[in-house]
Amino acid sequence: MDKALYLAMSGGVQTMNAQAIHANNLANVNTTGFRSDFEQARAMQVYGDYYPSRVYAMTENPATRYTQGDMIQTDRNLDVAINGEGFITVYDENGQEAYTRAGDLQINAAGQLVTGRGLPVAGVGGPIFLPPVDNINIMADGSISVVPQGGAANEVAVINQIKLVNPDSQNIRKGQDGLIHTKNGEFLEPDLNVQLVSGFVEGSNVNAVEEMTHIMNLARRFEMNVKMMDTVSENGNASARILQRTA
Amino acid sequence: MNSALWVSKTGLSAMDKQLNVVANNLANVSTTAFKKDRAVFEDLMYKTVRAPGGLSAQNAELPSGLQLGTGVKVGATQKDFSSGDYNMTDRQLDIAIQGKGFFQVVQPDGTMAYTRDGSFQLNSEGQIATSGGLVLEPGIQIDPNVLEIIVADDGVVSVRVSGETDPQEVGAINLAGFINPTGLNSIGQNLFTETNASGPPIVAAPGEDSLGSLGQGMLEASNVNSIEELVNMITTQRAYEMNSKVISSADGMMSFAIQQL
Repeated sequence: MDKALYLAMSGGVQTMNAQAIHANNLANVNTTGFRSDFEQARAMQVYGDYYPSRVYAMTENPATRYTQGDMIQTDRNLDVAINGEGFITVYDENGQEAYTRAGDLQINAAGQLVTGRGLPVAGVGGPIFLPPVDNINIMADGSISVVPQGGAANEVAVINQIKLVNPDSQNIRKGQDGLIHTKNGEFLEPDLNVQLVSGFVEGSNVNAVEEMTHIMNLARRFEMNVKMMDTVSENGNASARILQRTA
Repeated sequence: MNSALWVSKTGLSAMDKQLNVVANNLANVSTTAFKKDRAVFEDLMYKTVRAPGGLSAQNAELPSGLQLGTGVKVGATQKDFSSGDYNMTDRQLDIAIQGKGFFQVVQPDGTMAYTRDGSFQLNSEGQIATSGGLVLEPGIQIDPNVLEIIVADDGVVSVRVSGETDPQEVGAINLAGFINPTGLNSIGQNLFTETNASGPPIVAAPGEDSLGSLGQGMLEASNVNSIEELVNMITTQRAYEMNSKVISSADGMMSFAIQQL
């Protein structure tokens, strides 16, 4: 068999994977704090016992885009967005520290500060529990000031401080849960220069037009791979006919 | 099949749910004390096809892996309990809460429901009840010969009877508060019920424990901002269109392959 058929097929399959990455970006065009994923194709040699003559294309997502998304004003006290670089620290399902830009916070029944999807927010001194409060304000450095329930307006108490970090983007990657994790599994130290803005949430940083363009481009690339498979098949037919005639 | 098809399907259904939320908010733009909802989107799990750092050959390490996202879902709807505008009505039994509390009303099955809709009426027995007919708890009885009902800031209800100058106290309205009002269960008719997520109610007189004081002769309007909802509607519609475009593109790929091969 002509090996070109398999090469073209792998190209098509990898193009479909790439398409899935862009489809996922577009599906999350309205997801708070979502960071879009890159996709690239890389030449991948086939190793084995034989002479390494074949090179496949391989799709991979080398990185996640960490640029800032749109700031959406909500005027809700518990909505916070990071202005510039940095992440809010949360505890993932295994209780490990993970990082997110989704700042649609709420207080659950236990009085704990959690994200919109229910993950506990990490404070500089552990998880953040709040007493019943009259008024809550989150300041630029992440410290949470509250007026306790029934307290006078000037009885402001600072409860805890949201742990804000600013890792080098080389050391982090998106995990299977959609949260950002450090590559080596180590916890990050709080960074005092990260700025929070209250009353805003950060939208997704997906560039819809760019994603659409990629998707159209990939659809055509897929068609070219299929066309290649078709051509290989025609070639096979032609040689079969020639061989039949001479026999 | 092409997983992009399923991924964009999750996008379509999430945008559809978001549109439902927006439509419901807009439909309730004039509902007394309605609290708007917000859909909370979250990305679904990622499928690791090749783990980053895996070995591609005996001594070659993959510098980056391939993780395919599987789409988006609406994880929750979050009620925004910020207060709406206060409208003067000058009606005696219109009561607004300025603060975080809720009126307590008794449902037909005897359990408690909570509402901020203070457009009360008297039922045939002279009890203060909501426009849906649920009686306020603790019950307050008003005699038919009462000239005027006075609701104080702290919830004390007094009446002035004809021929007498001093008002008589007939009861008091209590308010209930929750540590996490977002966790309340909306059952329609402007009513909420307690859940494990909301925590038990904290009952106190108005003005105590920051539950808010009462304002007689006014109603709290819906907190829906119609412009904001219209903008949400437009962005939702565009996101829906883009996801359906991905479906047709993925479908085009598959149909091309099927026809050619």
